[in-house]
Formats: sequence, C-alpha cells, structure tokens
Amino acid sequence: MDKVLEILEEIKSGVDFENEKGLIDNDILDSFDILSIVGELEDTFDIEVTPVDIVPSNFNSAESLWAMVQRLMEA
Amino acid sequence: MEFLLFVLAAAFVYYIVPARYQWIVLLVFSYIFYAAAGVKLLFFLLFTTLTTYGTARWIDAVNSTDEDRKSKKIRKRRILIAGLLLNFGMLALLKYSNFTITNFNALFHKNFALLNLALPLGISFYTFQSMGYLIDVYWGRFRAEKNPFRFALFVSFFPQLLQGPIGRFDKLAHQFFEEHSFDLIRVEHGLQRMMWGYFQKLVLADRAGVIVTEVFGNYSDYHGMTIVAAVLMYSIQLYGDFSGGMDVVLGVAEIFGITLDENFRQPYFSISITDFWHRWHITLGTWMKDYIFYPISLSHWMNRFGKITKKKFGKQTGRVIPVALANIIVFLVVGIWHGAAWKYLMYGFYNGALIALANLLAPVNRRAFEVFHIDDKSRAWHVFRILRTFLLVNISWYFDIAVSLGASFAMMRATFRDFTFRTLTDGSLLNLGLAGKDFIILAFGCAVLFIVSVLRENGVNIRESLDRKPLAVRWCAYFALVLSLPVFGYILLGGGGFIYAQF
Repeated sequence: MDKVLEILEEIKSGVDFENEKGLIDNDILDSFDILSIVGELEDTFDIEVTPVDIVPSNFNSAESLWAMVQRLMEA
Repeated sequence: MEFLLFVLAAAFVYYIVPARYQWIVLLVFSYIFYAAAGVKLLFFLLFTTLTTYGTARWIDAVNSTDEDRKSKKIRKRRILIAGLLLNFGMLALLKYSNFTITNFNALFHKNFALLNLALPLGISFYTFQSMGYLIDVYWGRFRAEKNPFRFALFVSFFPQLLQGPIGRFDKLAHQFFEEHSFDLIRVEHGLQRMMWGYFQKLVLADRAGVIVTEVFGNYSDYHGMTIVAAVLMYSIQLYGDFSGGMDVVLGVAEIFGITLDENFRQPYFSISITDFWHRWHITLGTWMKDYIFYPISLSHWMNRFGKITKKKFGKQTGRVIPVALANIIVFLVVGIWHGAAWKYLMYGFYNGALIALANLLAPVNRRAFEVFHIDDKSRAWHVFRILRTFLLVNISWYFDIAVSLGASFAMMRATFRDFTFRTLTDGSLLNLGLAGKDFIILAFGCAVLFIVSVLRENGVNIRESLDRKPLAVRWCAYFALVLSLPVFGYILLGGGGFIYAQF
C-alpha cells in the first residue's frame, strides 16, 4: 500500500492520496496520469493490467488501486 | 421499401412465435437477409462466426484446466493470436490484397494481376465486432457463449450487419435472448426513428450527394468556392447518410425490443477533434480505444518508451508523447479500416496528428489563455471552437471523398484558385446537377436537422416531448415526416445504397 502511495505521489504531488476517495470522479487524475500509474504499477508489482481494469472504480482511491493490484497479483 | 416489408414480416413472425424462440426468428431472418445479398457471401460470415466461436470456447477451456498461471496465459495468448490472424487475415486478404499488389507493381515495375475478389457486405463491421468479443473473452470480461447458434445471431443480427453500430456481447446477448412481448409504444418509437433516418437519407444525403459526385468525380473542372460548396455538401451527405442510416438501424432493432449502441451525438457541435471522435461513429471510436489504444498504451514497450521520454522531455511533455504516438497509430488503423487507399491512411494520419498536436500543445494553450486573457468558459469561445473543429473536419473530408490522395491535394490547391463569393450568387451552382428548388429543400431540411440537433444538444428528449403532445399533433408530425419522403426525397435512379455499407 505504501508503494502505491509512493507511485501516486511521484506522478502527481500535492494531493492527499491517503484520504481522497474521488481521484477520478473529482477530476484529480487525468487520462495521462492513469496510463503513467498503470505503467509504474505493472513494473513495481510485476502484474498485467488489461483494459478491463481501466474503470473509474479501480482508480478512485489509493485503496481501490491497492485492491486491484492485489487481485492481479493473485490472478 | 422492400426492406420495410422485410422488417414487418420479421416483426410479425417474431411476435407470434412463442417468446423463447424469438431469437431463432432473428437468426433465420438475419441469414435470409444476408443470403439475399449473395449466397456465396455466407461463407465469409460463417467463417468469422465459426472461427471466433471456436477460439473463444478454446480460451474458456484453457481457463478451466489446472495448469499453472504462466503456461495458461501463454496458451491463451496463442489461441487469441490464431483467432485474430484468421479473421483479420481474411479481412486483409479481401480488402487489402489488391492495394498491396498495385503498390508492389508500381514500386518494383512488376505486373502481377489483381485478384477478382468481391468484398462481402459489412465485413469490416462484423469482423471488428467478433474480434472485440474474442479479446474480451481473452481478458476475462465474460465467458464464451456456449451455444453456436446464439453466437451466430450476435455476429449476424441483420439490422446492424451492414453498417454497425459495432456492438458488444455483454450489452447485446441478454437482450437477444430474453423474451420480448409486443409493445405498441416501442414499435411506434422504432418506426418513428426509422422515418427520421430515411428523412435524413433521402431528403438530405442523396440530394447533397449529387453535387458531391459531380464535383469530386470531375475535380479538375472545378475550383474555388465550388469546391468549398461541394465539401460542405459532403458534410451534409455523409452525416445524413450515416447518421440517418443509424437511425434506421436503431429503429428497426427497437421494433424487436433491442437497444443498440448510439453511434452519433451531434458531431458537428464538437469543440475539438477529440470531441468529434467521441460523437461521430462512436462505436468505432470506443472499439479503437478498448482494443487498440489501451493495449498499445499499456504495453511494456510503450511503458519503456514513456520512461525514456519522461527523462528526456520532463514529466509534463514526457507523459504526453507516448499517448500522442498511440493516438497516431490508432488513427492510422481507423484510416485503414475505411479502405485500402493512401487517401484513407492520410485521413487517419491527419486526425491522429491533430489530436496528438492538441495534447502536446495543451500547456502552451493554457499559457496563451492567460497572456491574452481569453475566458475559455465564454459562449463566444465555445462557438469559435465549434467552428474551428467544423473547419478541420471539412478539411479531412478532402482525403475521405477525393478519388485519390493526389486528387485531394490537387483539390486543396484548386480551392484557393479564383476563389470568389460571387460563385454563390451567379448561378454556377445550378449547373452541378441540382435545380434551384433542390437547394431550397436542402436548406429547409438542414434547418429542421439543425433545430433537432440544437434541442438534443440541450438535453431535450424529442420523442418524449412528442409523446406528451395530443394524439392529433403527434400524428401530424408523423404524417409530415412520412409524406416528406416521397414528396421531397431525392430518388436516385438505380437506388442509392448507404455509403458505410461498403466499408
């Protein structure tokens, strides 16, 4: 989870990623950020994110991102 | 007219058989419909249906074995690639081999004979729809369909078979297979939408098309304002033809109680080229996004490339470059999808490059707003953006409609030769095949279309507000629409087909 926060911080600083629950819904992250995040997650956790996973509910908070990562690590 | 009778016959049988057999009625009528265009063509439809059905089932079978994750993945990927190669290979063979041979001959001064291949109707649409399904099964979005006949209906559903919309299995399957009881309001809505589609096709598109055919067909005879007029006519023709066609398709599907995806959302009100592709041929755009753009953007090599660009150009620009590149690739594919010709490649590249440029220049734009104190929320700026986009789209039509890439460039140059607004008033537009009264009908038709579009753009649901009107008003509106078809419809000799059915 800390790793996820680190990645988010690296891509866009100055956001309260620990508490924000609407990263997509509140237009905090744009599509470029999302693609950068996916790239970092894939490298860091050795997972494969497919377009099926690119839905707002997976990207709205650090927690939901972490949940997605865990799911993909097991898949 | 024959089509209308066919739809009515299908609807009649559909609603008298026991509801659980309804999907079989659709399948049978779909195959009759396709066979009517040529029995031989059924081979290609069956080829796509069977290979896609088979490979998807195979992927599913691999999923339920107890191999380890890695080897499962490798096997699934191989099956996927086989399925894609078979189908896109067939499409390429039929659609692009003559293009390749011609260019090969020209390049190496050889003289290989062209193949005599008839392009099966709607092949680009049903191939893309089927491959979307296969990739979705591979990604695990849903399980493969077990019943080959049910799957066959997904590929061949006759209203959408020829020109889309490109459908998704998870949105359509349950609609096909659930039971539909006859609902007069729904059927009325379907017919209403069909008539509105025919209005756009017959009153507007086919009429505007006369000028397009004349000017673009004999492009060396025309210059200046006449070409501008023809390009604008093409804007009317293409939209009326394709969007009107979609209204017919969606209306027919609605009669059967099936809601297909919308393909158009007032595209000429777009504020950017990106926005345009979110409103024009929407299902092709979302197909490209899901199955080309994301796989490229999420691929390992693009990830690597993104890291390099970030190092070289900084975080801001660096993260945009890979996306810009992916967009250009996507639109080259969009270009190729339209047909085997350099002009279509250029059409795709032009769109992709504009979008890439807009992405790259976004920070510069923001600075410019600040420096020049432009309020980007103002109404005037919004209208300016709409007009700018409309201009850019019209430039793209040069590539789309000209007989060749060379011709499109020649026409662009000719547009600036002896350009004068006098062309509009000196009667020379009346020599292009349309009489004065045709221009008046076109103007009125476009005005109706424009008003309808403005209402829709502002969130007015025209059908619902029409439903609330008294019966007399409603029927007057229908009669006006239906009557306008034979009275104002431009009936082409030899019958005008839909443009997109050729793709």
